[in-house]
Amino acid sequence: MARKVNSSEPSASKRASEVEDEEADEVLVARAQTGDTSAYDVLVTRHRGRIFAMIRQMIKNEADAWDLAQDSFIKAWKALPRFEAKARFTTWLYRIAHNTVYDWVRRKRPESGGELNDEIFGEDRIDPASVTTPKIDRAPDEALAGGELRDKIEAALGQLSPQHREVVVLKDVQGLAYKEIAEVMECSIGTVMSRLHYARQKLQTLLKDEYEAR
Amino acid sequence: MNTKPDDELLALWVEDELSGDSLSAVDAWASKQTEWLERREQARSWKSLIDGVLPESEDVPHAESFNARIRREIEADPESAPNVVPMRGTPRWAWFMPAAAAAGMVFGFVMGRGGPEGAVKEVTMPVAALAPVLYTPTKGVNAEYVAADDATVILLAGVDAIPDSWEIPETAVLEKEGPRTVSRDAR
Repeated sequence: MARKVNSSEPSASKRASEVEDEEADEVLVARAQTGDTSAYDVLVTRHRGRIFAMIRQMIKNEADAWDLAQDSFIKAWKALPRFEAKARFTTWLYRIAHNTVYDWVRRKRPESGGELNDEIFGEDRIDPASVTTPKIDRAPDEALAGGELRDKIEAALGQLSPQHREVVVLKDVQGLAYKEIAEVMECSIGTVMSRLHYARQKLQTLLKDEYEAR
Repeated sequence: MNTKPDDELLALWVEDELSGDSLSAVDAWASKQTEWLERREQARSWKSLIDGVLPESEDVPHAESFNARIRREIEADPESAPNVVPMRGTPRWAWFMPAAAAAGMVFGFVMGRGGPEGAVKEVTMPVAALAPVLYTPTKGVNAEYVAADDATVILLAGVDAIPDSWEIPETAVLEKEGPRTVSRDAR
């Protein structure tokens, strides 16, 4: 019997492995809540790649993303006593990262009143006041294999409004559910759905050549 | 289904994340809704384009330094540490604690009087404990610590040249015959 390929299967298996991770997360979080810094170190190591990727894709500056990802983990440590196991630890972390980025924008441009705008997010320069300024070299093979498409998609994402870019990153890159995105961005599921629709619509226009080449 | 499904169900349907009865119900409603059918098609084609192109996780540059700073920050500020959950109720052996403390004080007093008068044992600190920890986050950078009588110097070999465009906001200057001063933008 022919087996129907279900597009949701990969995400289902991915979620199964995440559930296993979440069980371990819960144990580590409980230990960290009693002041166990080594347990928290394991959590940082496990989730730093995702948080860094999310912030880097939002603000398009690797050095600032590095600092902001660290700040997110420090804030998460301070807020751990208030964390309840109702939400996934990762969703809670994404929300802290989201707030950290907004706080950073407020500090950087007080006149913006915390509103995210492309001028702030488009600055591809290293802030001299940043704690660290790491340099990232791309692997040569990465530039060859799929690097071109990635550059085009990143450039197209850069043309979206910050809220639209964030919703695409959280849904299509980080794989969060609508409900989780609504929690992270503090809005309704309807708003998430609407933002995602308009963002994808614009991306489809911007990446028209890529769509037609398929 | 004649009525419009709620947002959560519709969102899952657009993303192909529904199954079973829920899927059949929304399919029945959406079959005549061109706008929603287009949305689902748009989502499918976008996901096939982006799938695996942007990584959900990226290697953090200088991962050890990344964790080290977080550790340092949370350990340096005990106020920030999560609260240890206090024990509920009073344990049965709680009465023993004041008695043990009092006994400890008496023992300490007696032991303190027992030694020869004025004799103070010198505690020698291992040299390693006095030396500072050298922190070199970048690969290939060697650090050397030199402690002279009148100066402490850290030599870093292998660091990239500082670009001319880099502004140094404050520079400590040691004048030849005078007190140490701090000048702004001494470059």
